[in-house]
Amino acid sequence: MKYMLLTYLDEKAWGELGETEQERVISECNPHIENLLKNGKLLAGAPLHPTSTATTLRLQDGKRLVTDGPFAETREQLGGYTLLEADNLDEAIAIAGKFLGRSFPTAIEIRPIRDFPGTPSH
Amino acid sequence: MRYLLLAYIDEKAWAELGEAEQSRVRAESQPHVQNLSKTGRFISGAGLRPTSTAVTVKVEGGKRLVTDGPFAETREQLGGYALIDANDLDEAIGIAGLFAQRSFPATIEIRPLMDGAGAHPDAPVQGEAR
Repeated sequence: MKYMLLTYLDEKAWGELGETEQERVISECNPHIENLLKNGKLLAGAPLHPTSTATTLRLQDGKRLVTDGPFAETREQLGGYTLLEADNLDEAIAIAGKFLGRSFPTAIEIRPIRDFPGTPSH
Repeated sequence: MRYLLLAYIDEKAWAELGEAEQSRVRAESQPHVQNLSKTGRFISGAGLRPTSTAVTVKVEGGKRLVTDGPFAETREQLGGYALIDANDLDEAIGIAGLFAQRSFPATIEIRPLMDGAGAHPDAPVQGEAR
């Protein structure tokens, strides 16, 4: 079963860490990532640029409405995603838990994926 | 530049459509997916199961805390994603607009991916050789 992990963090506090410290925190995950890659559990993932670069689009009365910013303002912001292959939700939670062990706090939302026939999910 | 499109829908209204109508609405996007795939613009995408199946984990006071439900309750809910490759934000907006034109309303958040240094330096980004 495939799961999408959505990582939320306080992007203001993250920005204030500075490049060097960000890199140090990021590297804390490396052993975990290497293990997951070896086992075929990690399918894809990437960090996102801050929500200041987000754009939201909707249709209103048939007209395209484009606004700056994310869909929803949240206390922490979506900062990256990871696509996992896991046997079940318990395994997905355990894997997410390891990403939480970093020295910078995050919250991870876990969502099971529904593949669309004929469309690659990763 | 790669962009992640996050599609938000009213999942209650979506569920009420029923399977057959859901399939019909989904099929409306297929020609776009096929066209965009041909030119390498569409990399990947999938639906997410409803937020009733979501779980959120965080660490509080050194302890792992697992709660049911999504990270944030929103008026519409994250229902799917697409990873696209576009020359710039304008093109990404154009592509998102194609997906927004289905007969079921969706709001699409467009987020540029960070290339190079990032949270998962060794992880394959979707669509790359793995």
